[in-house]
Amino acid sequence: MGSIYIKNKWLPYLLVAPIVILICLFKIYPIVDSVIQGFRLKESWTLDNYKMLFADKTFWDSLIVTLKFNIVIIPLQIIVSFIMAMLANVKVKGIETFRTIFYLPFCISLTVSTLIWQTMLNNNNGVMNSLLNLFGFESQGFLIDKKWAWLSIILIASWRGCAYWMMFILAGLKNIDRALYESAKIDGAGFFGILFKITIPLLKNVLLFVFVANTTANFLLFAPIQIATEGGPQGSTNVLMYEAYKSAFKYSNRPRSSCIVTILLIIVVAVCFIQNKFLNEKEV
Amino acid sequence: MKFIKLTALLVTTTLLVSLYLTGCGNSSSENESTADATIDSTETSESDANSKQPYAGVTINWISQGVGDSGWEGLTKPILEEFEKETGIHVNAEFYSFNDLFEVIETKSASGTTDFDVMSVDVTYVSKYGSSGYLEPLDSFFTEEEKKEWTDAAYSAGCWEDIMYAAPENTSTQILWYNKTLLDEAGITVPENDGENRLTYEQIAELAKQGLEKLDPDGSKGLIGFDFQQVSRVYQMNMLPNSMGGANIGEDGFSVDGVINSDAWINSVTWYQNLVKEGIASQGYDADQLPEYFYAGKMLFMVGGTWTPTSMTSEDEIGYTYAPCFEGYEDKAATSTGSWYFGVNSNSKQKEAAAEFIKYFTLGEGNDMWLEINGDMPCRVEKLEEIMADDSDYAGYLKIGAYEAQNSAVARAVTPAFGEYSTILDLTWEDVRNGADVKEALDSAVSKINAATAAYK
Repeated sequence: MGSIYIKNKWLPYLLVAPIVILICLFKIYPIVDSVIQGFRLKESWTLDNYKMLFADKTFWDSLIVTLKFNIVIIPLQIIVSFIMAMLANVKVKGIETFRTIFYLPFCISLTVSTLIWQTMLNNNNGVMNSLLNLFGFESQGFLIDKKWAWLSIILIASWRGCAYWMMFILAGLKNIDRALYESAKIDGAGFFGILFKITIPLLKNVLLFVFVANTTANFLLFAPIQIATEGGPQGSTNVLMYEAYKSAFKYSNRPRSSCIVTILLIIVVAVCFIQNKFLNEKEV
Repeated sequence: MKFIKLTALLVTTTLLVSLYLTGCGNSSSENESTADATIDSTETSESDANSKQPYAGVTINWISQGVGDSGWEGLTKPILEEFEKETGIHVNAEFYSFNDLFEVIETKSASGTTDFDVMSVDVTYVSKYGSSGYLEPLDSFFTEEEKKEWTDAAYSAGCWEDIMYAAPENTSTQILWYNKTLLDEAGITVPENDGENRLTYEQIAELAKQGLEKLDPDGSKGLIGFDFQQVSRVYQMNMLPNSMGGANIGEDGFSVDGVINSDAWINSVTWYQNLVKEGIASQGYDADQLPEYFYAGKMLFMVGGTWTPTSMTSEDEIGYTYAPCFEGYEDKAATSTGSWYFGVNSNSKQKEAAAEFIKYFTLGEGNDMWLEINGDMPCRVEKLEEIMADDSDYAGYLKIGAYEAQNSAVARAVTPAFGEYSTILDLTWEDVRNGADVKEALDSAVSKINAATAAYK
């Protein structure tokens, strides 16, 4: 192998070429094309699409909804996933069964799980309201009341999402040498001492990945909103991704959609950069 | 040496196998040639069939809405089979949900695909698809005589800038349906009325309230008093502001300020919101779910289309009468109208066969079958006259429908920005249904529509 490599200096490039071509074709090209489309209107180059977008109150409302939604959902999912991973890492009999149960929601497609939750949260005959009524509480408009709808979407997305992120954190936990925990316990460290001084620092790289991937996934979250609320009630779940979708497929206004997607891309990259900066300060 | 022997053996075997296969091929060719004689004898009858089926072997693709056996998917099956028998054209039909169809058309047409030939077009999208180049002009496929078979209004709605882009399958009109079995049980009789002396929305609300109090006082049966078949869709909901004299859109086809936030809109929308608050109209069901409650015998009154009887799943007896009007606005009674059209994909490779299919479904036997199967209001002058002249009970609701089509029908907003208009207003209707402040919601809709249509100006 070594001799082939030495003789053919192009071989490594040749081997990676297929995947590079595919990435360029299916990842880079759509992004570049989308950015370009944002500057095109009636076959000429212009900034008008952005001017119209920035003058549109719906866009700003949607941006605020997106930020509010993500400020809650990202930390929530990571904390819940972390707790689930810690629980799934405990050494007890039958823990494999619990791990499977924890992971099960991710095995159901997002569309199906949204439809199930939509039925459960229905304000007329949903099981959640039946339970509330059973305990003497009034029915709530989980998907039709603007106070509840965005929280319901967070619940739907997190029910499935946490199971996924848990697996990464669990894999990271498994890589931590148990001798470290035992030494810490001998030295008298408590649960929180071990958590903040051993577990979290040693999980930094895994957490960085989870933070970045989770941020991207949640900023681009779309299916539960389209299925359960269509951006309503009163725009309370109208995130930028859904606004981009409406622009492209309901309004046939692709330049507007491209502008929104480009802005989303910039936000996601900026947030990931900040997360990277904070979490990657010191290599462990 | 062993390797050479093995290779030689392999080559020899391959040659033998290929020779054998070639032999088989020859013998089958011989069989085919002997069979030619027998084919000759049947040639005449086949050519007869071909002359009857000028497009034998042709397949076209049609995209439409209405998934499921009770939807268009099931209802159009006999029509497609009959069409194939007559013309030889096989129609591959793809059905989507109502909302998905618009996205599918948009995505496919914008990419210039040739993978479908015919599309079902909601009348409000004719101008948009026509001006975007998605639809093939149909003037060359239809003679002037054929065009005259439709009512002027129906034909004109399929045109944009004097070019015919789509052919009307049927039109629609709204009447008031009620569950007679439930009302009898509640001891309620619907007062006598006619087109000149309509029931009012206020009367219907009162009757529905009385009915609910008697039949479902604690709400445990989940009965609904009164609602619209296509709740939270501008198609039917705009009947309310129209019935108070409100317009759908400004005359320029874009302006909405002072139109959809006028007094007529605010008052009628507030009336509907109060109906929801009182528990007479429903909340939390969408336009796909809600009509099922009437079909299943769980709703007392419903404003709906003439296809309602064919959709019933309950054995309950249903009654029908003229669409209501608002008290004090008796001269402004309004009903929604318009329906589905058929158009040819401008990138289709089989435009002629596609046009044949459209002709069959909008003018020919297929249209007769469709009207009978789905109970829709025809666009053809001949069929409308037939309904008006028919004295049988069956045609009763169609007669009322035909009357409404001629006397109270209000066309939907005619604008190339109908996608933006309906998306925003549908959500606004849903918001006020869910308790949003009416004035704020309508003002917000104005601002959203203005922003969304800025690109057109």
